[in-house]
Amino acid sequence: MAFVGLAMAFVGFLIAFGSLGLASGASGRLILVLIGIVVSLAGIMGPLNQAYQKKAVWKR
Amino acid sequence: MKTTLLTFTMTASLLGAGAARAQAPAPAPAQPAAAAPAAAAPVAITDVDLKAIAGPKAEDRAKGDPGGTITGTVNDIVVGDPKAGLTLPDLVNMVGQNQIAVNFVWTLVTGFLVMFMQAGFALVETGLCRAKNANHTMMMNFMVYGVGMLGYWLFGFAIQEGGVGAVANLGGTAPLSAEHTIKMFGKDLGLWGQNGFMLMHNGTYDVGVMVMFLFQMVFMDTALTIVTGTAAERWKYVAFVASSFLMGAFTYPLFANWAWGGGWLATLGANFGLGHGYSDFAGSGVVHAVGGLTALAMGILIGPRIGKYGRDGRAHAIPGHDITIVLLGCFILAFGWFGFNPGSTLGASGNGNLRISSVAVNTMLAGMAGSFGAMLYMWIRYGKPDASMSGNGLLAGLVAITAPSGFVNPVASVIIGLIAGVLVCLSVEFIDRVLKVDDPVGAISVHGANGLWGVISVGLFADGKSNYGGAWNSVPGSVTGLFYGDGGQLVAQLIGAATLIGFVFTLSFVFNLLIDWFVGQRVSARAELEGLDIPEMGALGYPEFVLKTEAVGVE
Repeated sequence: MAFVGLAMAFVGFLIAFGSLGLASGASGRLILVLIGIVVSLAGIMGPLNQAYQKKAVWKR
Repeated sequence: MKTTLLTFTMTASLLGAGAARAQAPAPAPAQPAAAAPAAAAPVAITDVDLKAIAGPKAEDRAKGDPGGTITGTVNDIVVGDPKAGLTLPDLVNMVGQNQIAVNFVWTLVTGFLVMFMQAGFALVETGLCRAKNANHTMMMNFMVYGVGMLGYWLFGFAIQEGGVGAVANLGGTAPLSAEHTIKMFGKDLGLWGQNGFMLMHNGTYDVGVMVMFLFQMVFMDTALTIVTGTAAERWKYVAFVASSFLMGAFTYPLFANWAWGGGWLATLGANFGLGHGYSDFAGSGVVHAVGGLTALAMGILIGPRIGKYGRDGRAHAIPGHDITIVLLGCFILAFGWFGFNPGSTLGASGNGNLRISSVAVNTMLAGMAGSFGAMLYMWIRYGKPDASMSGNGLLAGLVAITAPSGFVNPVASVIIGLIAGVLVCLSVEFIDRVLKVDDPVGAISVHGANGLWGVISVGLFADGKSNYGGAWNSVPGSVTGLFYGDGGQLVAQLIGAATLIGFVFTLSFVFNLLIDWFVGQRVSARAELEGLDIPEMGALGYPEFVLKTEAVGVE
């Protein structure tokens, strides 16, 4: 799960970076960049953080 | 009746006109039109003219110069050939050297101020941690200076600045001209520099390059020290050394190249028409968000301190041991920030650099607004003006203004700072209670969240009034945000934010995961409960005091 979260974080960056080639206008790029940021944050706060929370010291 | 009305109307009009004249300032008496001065004919200055200029006589100099009227004259111009005497090339060269010298002194002295911020960070972090970890926390902040500098000198500076090209303010920095690029989307995208390893490689043993190295190095170190705050009280010292070296050698310089070293983020404007490309005047993104997001990666990886959360997941406060040094540290940081932001012009002469005054004032105002925002939020919400959050609010405002400081006006600075002060409080609560990531000093919120806010605020508030040599990131004109007519700038800033969140966080996490596999990041539970001073450092920070060893909130 941790690697899924990490992969999501990186894919979010790729989506934002890819907006440079996939869209030509500022509006299209804006939407893709925002999607990328959301995907990255979701990966970090979701699967990645949750995977480490499962083995947190206060749960032992 | 009509006559009465007409008389009344005329009287009212005359009175009104008289009143208007009385309210309006009396017009100045008419002056004869001044003749426009005739354009002065150019006068050729020759070497003969220069030689005729007489400096103060030796007997006058021998009497002393209390008024400073005969110190600094034609006698002080450096003459290339004493036999030939003063010539026009000597004079012109002196003007050029003086301009560069002013910029050298400015950049170096502001760099010294930023270096002193290390002391501020050390005090803030140590004060917010428990006394049993004082030695360890202080040593991390002390040695991050050396460890980071080593990595940066060996690899990082070349990666970051090796292809930045000519920096006019510093006399050209011509040797920094090798940027590795790839062709994508039909454009050349810069990835990393290739000149300047150990400051000896390919002509980089150069006075201008030295200035650049010192200034950029102290910025790099600020990013590295942020991470020590989040991982404090449970970070193995050897893991800290390894992590900081990798961050100074690779993570930080890579993103810094993309933003400042001629890399692809800076050229988003020139290549893709997105405003002036990713614009980060002094490093809300490059320094603070890189540090804050690396801190987030470390916070997730290393886990919370023992006693921070109960079995029900409720967060317990673990107070620091000395709020006085926390606030003293905040003031030292605020002082150092006068080097951080205004120094980022890399000069005080030429190319719009007199805007250093505006940058300095913007910095002050945002810090002030941040401290007010945080203090008022805590006061209203919890009934008391919390000291540590007020300090964090000051820092949040300073972090947030770092990127836009060179591009916005004073009103925008206050708005940015005020939002930062409230944002840091909300972020601390979110990270602490929702994400359950333990951050003893709030570094993720101060530097990560507000670093990203600073990056975005450039895309909103940049007013197009700055002028740093007529262009920024090779795009003519001034950086202008959405509120002043350029939505493309906001998109460029968001691409930078996405790169920070998606790429920098991931790279930092991977590096620290590898360190965890090979060395282990976290100390043992016994060492953590005892305090890291003895197990990790071999000496107490406060040997004359009896310290509590049990953890707060352990069930």
